[in-house]
Amino acid sequence: MSELTTQTPQPTAAELVDWLRGRVAAQTGRPAAEIDADVPLNDYGLDSVYVFGLCAEIEDQYGIEVEPTVMWDNTSLAPLADALLGLIAAR
Amino acid sequence: MTSPSPAHTAPRPGAEPSGTAGTGAHPSGAHPSGTLPAGRAAADHLEELFGDAGDPANPVGRDAVLAADDRGEMLAAGEDLLTGFGLNAHFVPRGLGGRFEQLDDLVRVMRAVYRRDPCLGLGYGAGSFMAAVNVWTAGSDEQRHRLARRLLSGGRAACAYHELDHGNDFTRAGLTALPGPDGRLRLNGRKEVVANLRRAETVVLFARTDPAHGSRSHSQLLFDTAALPATAVRHLDRFPTAGMRGVPLGGIEFTDCPVPDDSVVGRPGHGVETALRSFQLTRVALPGMTIGLLDTALRTAVRGARGRTLYGGRAADLPLSRSILAETFADLLLADTFTTVAARAAHTAPARAAVYASAVKSFVPTVLIRAVQRLSELLGSQFYLRAAEQPLFQKLLRDVQPSAFGHASRVSCQSALLPQLPLTARRGWRDDTADPLPAETFRPGAPLPPLRFSGLTVSAGGRDPLARSLVLATASAADGDPLSAAGRAWCAELAALTADATGLPPALIGPDAPPYAFGLTARWTGVLAASACLNTWWNRPGEATGSSADPAVTLAVLHRLGAHLDHHREPLPPRLAEPLGAELDRRFDAGLTFDLDRRPTGA
Repeated sequence: MSELTTQTPQPTAAELVDWLRGRVAAQTGRPAAEIDADVPLNDYGLDSVYVFGLCAEIEDQYGIEVEPTVMWDNTSLAPLADALLGLIAAR
Repeated sequence: MTSPSPAHTAPRPGAEPSGTAGTGAHPSGAHPSGTLPAGRAAADHLEELFGDAGDPANPVGRDAVLAADDRGEMLAAGEDLLTGFGLNAHFVPRGLGGRFEQLDDLVRVMRAVYRRDPCLGLGYGAGSFMAAVNVWTAGSDEQRHRLARRLLSGGRAACAYHELDHGNDFTRAGLTALPGPDGRLRLNGRKEVVANLRRAETVVLFARTDPAHGSRSHSQLLFDTAALPATAVRHLDRFPTAGMRGVPLGGIEFTDCPVPDDSVVGRPGHGVETALRSFQLTRVALPGMTIGLLDTALRTAVRGARGRTLYGGRAADLPLSRSILAETFADLLLADTFTTVAARAAHTAPARAAVYASAVKSFVPTVLIRAVQRLSELLGSQFYLRAAEQPLFQKLLRDVQPSAFGHASRVSCQSALLPQLPLTARRGWRDDTADPLPAETFRPGAPLPPLRFSGLTVSAGGRDPLARSLVLATASAADGDPLSAAGRAWCAELAALTADATGLPPALIGPDAPPYAFGLTARWTGVLAASACLNTWWNRPGEATGSSADPAVTLAVLHRLGAHLDHHREPLPPRLAEPLGAELDRRFDAGLTFDLDRRPTGA
């Protein structure tokens, strides 16, 4: 697990979605290709508690602070990536 | 609203901005000499109104409390007294016309009620406060003023979250509030085991307002029960319970029940967020109030043990009795210190309160329940009798049980801590430049910044200034400080916990986490409680005297903390037990409370 100090450069939307897809795949045990960026994470069995864990991973990877509520408002990966891009650009 | 005493109705300078609990700060940073802070004055006044609990003629005395409990009723004279006192005003922010400014002051006042009768505490007061924090945190101006008027006129609010099928997991709440054919929301479903549901004029109801999964599918609704059509509402019988027998714990069933259009509190769908933010205040306050129950249990046990002759002497003088009494006293101080610091941290670091509230609620009720149970050993072979001190003690032992699971259980609070643990270990605990909590957090009685409901957040963001206070204060403790060795030991525990929690993978932080992971949250809670105790000692007033100037008290409290965390099973060593036992005797004889406040009580 990476440290907060490792700050990745500004990703593109596609790169961010791919990275998120990898995290969800690792958590759910599914192949990343099966994770649809427009399907709510809840449909993959990820509940509101997992959101805290994913938040922490995003924060570590991109050096930003993410309120879990960002993920409540954006329940699938595509809109979530859009919301995060703004936060990453502003860091 | 009556004005029982000039001591706590005196106007204060400065209007508060809306959205805060108001400011109680004195510009000088000190209270005028000779006057008590508002919360203590109010608690003292309430004590005077309650009078001597041991007087058989006192309509709110021990006998009357027990008789009401036997009947399974609220003590009517007690409710009248609290209405005359204006208790509800203490739940309403000053900016809305009430007296609520500091969370620790509210706890002080309510603790005075819990010392007399926990049923009055929950059934008259705490239920309304639980409902109200949702509205203070997320309600519109109109809703906030409406609820403030209701409470200030002596009315009640019921906090209707609980459904038996879902326990403390309110994100699964099944009662729905969905639009009917005319567009108005209609309620369908049940709420169960909710205080005052039948008699409260106003209800805060937690309902599913969107069938979708996720955390944006519930909302709180605020409405007056008189606004509902009677045919769509069915009240359920009171649920029989082991303790809190007098509290009307009711249920309600709605069938296509329309609610007024302006009922939704805050943004529709944001109910889970509102609950997680606002209940941080009640997760701290409820255990803090319940310390009053232990205060009375301890006093009752001393009275019983002094009045009983065993083996040719007073039971209270037997070494085992002295040990149990001293340890229970230390448990009470441990609970009070941790709770008080958490309550004050809600003012000084609201964005971190999510962690401190869950830590208090996961730990303190367990300490209180164990302590009351241990005191029951002291009453020993007569405990089963219904005579002398026994009936009151038996009631307290029953009434303390719901504090373990009511509002939020130990496990649900640990489940809330667990997802925040790895990030805190990686970020907060490793940051050598992080800020500690402001010193006033650890100085009970010192003025605090206003409580900002808007500053409460779902997650603490990996920051832990209370743990940081432990590290910094230990590092700067003077050579020869009697607590510095304890500080270093707890810093070592924090370092070990940092190592153990840093790599905790996401799979281990969900509800299906293994016992090992839950154990890490207990260790985190231990570090936080230790920091609260040590920093309260290190920030004690220069003019401190008596027990607050005796390091043996803090050492004893930390010894008990270690016992509760299974670090050891040792009894308090005599060098710590004896000063505590002596202080316990002094306070009992002088009629003083056993908590940090050490105020006169007739309980």
